[in-house]
Amino acid sequence: MKLRSSQLYAFCSIFAGIAFWQIGYMLLARSYLFEAFAINLFLSSPVGVAQSFVELLGTGELLTHSYASFIAFSYGYLLATVVGIPLGVLMATTKKANYYLDPWVSSIYATPRVALAPVIIIWFGLGLFSKALIVFLGAVFPILLNTYTGIKSVKENLIEVVEAFGGSNMQVFFKVMLPDAIPAIISGLRLAVGRAVIGVVVAEWFGTEAGLGYMVYDYSMVFRPAPVFVGIVVLIAFGHLAFVILERIQRWISPWYQFQLEKEVEGMGLE
Amino acid sequence: MATESSGSKLIVRNLTKAFRRQRDNRVIKVFDGISLDVHPSEFVCLVGPSGCGKTTLLRILNGLIPYDSGEIFLDGNSVIKPGVNKGFVFQDSSLLPWRTVTDNVILGLEIQGADKKVARERAQKFIDLVGLKGFETHYPYELSGGMQQRVNLARALIVDPEILLMDEPFASLDAQTREIMQSELLKMWVQAKKTVIFVTHQIEEAIYLADRVVVFSARPTKIREIVKIQISRPRPLSVKRTKDFLDYTDQIWEIIQEEVLKSMGREVEERGVVR
Repeated sequence: MKLRSSQLYAFCSIFAGIAFWQIGYMLLARSYLFEAFAINLFLSSPVGVAQSFVELLGTGELLTHSYASFIAFSYGYLLATVVGIPLGVLMATTKKANYYLDPWVSSIYATPRVALAPVIIIWFGLGLFSKALIVFLGAVFPILLNTYTGIKSVKENLIEVVEAFGGSNMQVFFKVMLPDAIPAIISGLRLAVGRAVIGVVVAEWFGTEAGLGYMVYDYSMVFRPAPVFVGIVVLIAFGHLAFVILERIQRWISPWYQFQLEKEVEGMGLE
Repeated sequence: MATESSGSKLIVRNLTKAFRRQRDNRVIKVFDGISLDVHPSEFVCLVGPSGCGKTTLLRILNGLIPYDSGEIFLDGNSVIKPGVNKGFVFQDSSLLPWRTVTDNVILGLEIQGADKKVARERAQKFIDLVGLKGFETHYPYELSGGMQQRVNLARALIVDPEILLMDEPFASLDAQTREIMQSELLKMWVQAKKTVIFVTHQIEEAIYLADRVVVFSARPTKIREIVKIQISRPRPLSVKRTKDFLDYTDQIWEIIQEEVLKSMGREVEERGVVR
């Protein structure tokens, strides 16, 4: 019941925002400012964006770009998952590995990855590989670091339970460490979605011929705000959808974790 | 491997253990020659001033941590590492939160490499034994503290251990639940016929449960006295209000009080200041 009302509030809030934008735009369009500053070159209205959306859908342009972005996102994100989780596990469980890898992880993590994008493109060209690599660089760190923290913060007494039964290190890992870290790992995957979307857009700005980032950039260059906003809205919707799906997966896999969180919130007296 | 044959289930000979305190690198002697014989199916409680190393001893007996010198024999075999012949019941919330009651209970069997399906069937008997029938598919967070400790107990019993090592299992329960768990534990003990070593800081709990109460001294820890509890079984909870029971309480309390005062005196010496 609580969930439903919160969803209703969210919906109302978004709807109010859009309505505000539309009405504001319409009022602006009636004033002399609109002509004087050529506002239609910079701003569109929700209705205008919707019209443009239908148009771009009709010509197939939107699908082509979305598909190109989605492919780059998927490759990069998948690679980040496949690399980030095992690397996080390795660093959390082996001290030596942590000593060797930590300086690299820390310094690359601290580097503004946008700065790396041009280098990657001159090295690997304009293709999918460069795009996926830029996405990967954005997404891998939240996954790696959350996996690391998740494994590190496993409660010592649970490990002891398995040891007390004579369990091996492998059994300790698979029966306690990994299941205990799964909620943290999924949180990392959720955070990585946003980073990966940024990666896609950045990669596409630096030069490709397809993708939502490219589309946004291209239309802004010719002062057509409506298709620009279409691109942005699609990116937002995609990011949000992926985020929500992962949240569902988290709830489904670890119902116990949700309960722990709620209990902690109650404990803090916030409920 | 060293062996020792006698009628005892568990034999501890001249056990010593010291550890280095990280704060100031000082060597702290925990056990200074502990010797103890436990008979088969006996219920032994360990009490002593706090910090005397009761839990440490239990961990050593389980093989979770090493000892410096001395010998430990379980059924004539030297104890060196943990294993399923010892069932450990932990203090609190040591259940795996992502596992249901049944899957928590079968953990030990799983570690032994038992088939999950067979293990789950076997689990039912122990879930019934601890009175949790109907809660098989519940998660720990859906259970009360008392129920969680029942699962904890079933988890230790299912591997059919030679000895049950219990580390203040009821410490975090409220008074009523604790009493009920005590009397239920005795019922289960009669059914399961296990040798039990039970650590507690509650004298009254020790007397109610035990055949013998082992009273430790303050650190460096020795066995100060072993009190045989001659109260007939089965013991209803009302036995706690009889004169015999209260006499035992006074007797043990006096020893511990003496030890606590001694350890306080030494602590002042060790630290050089009175806090």
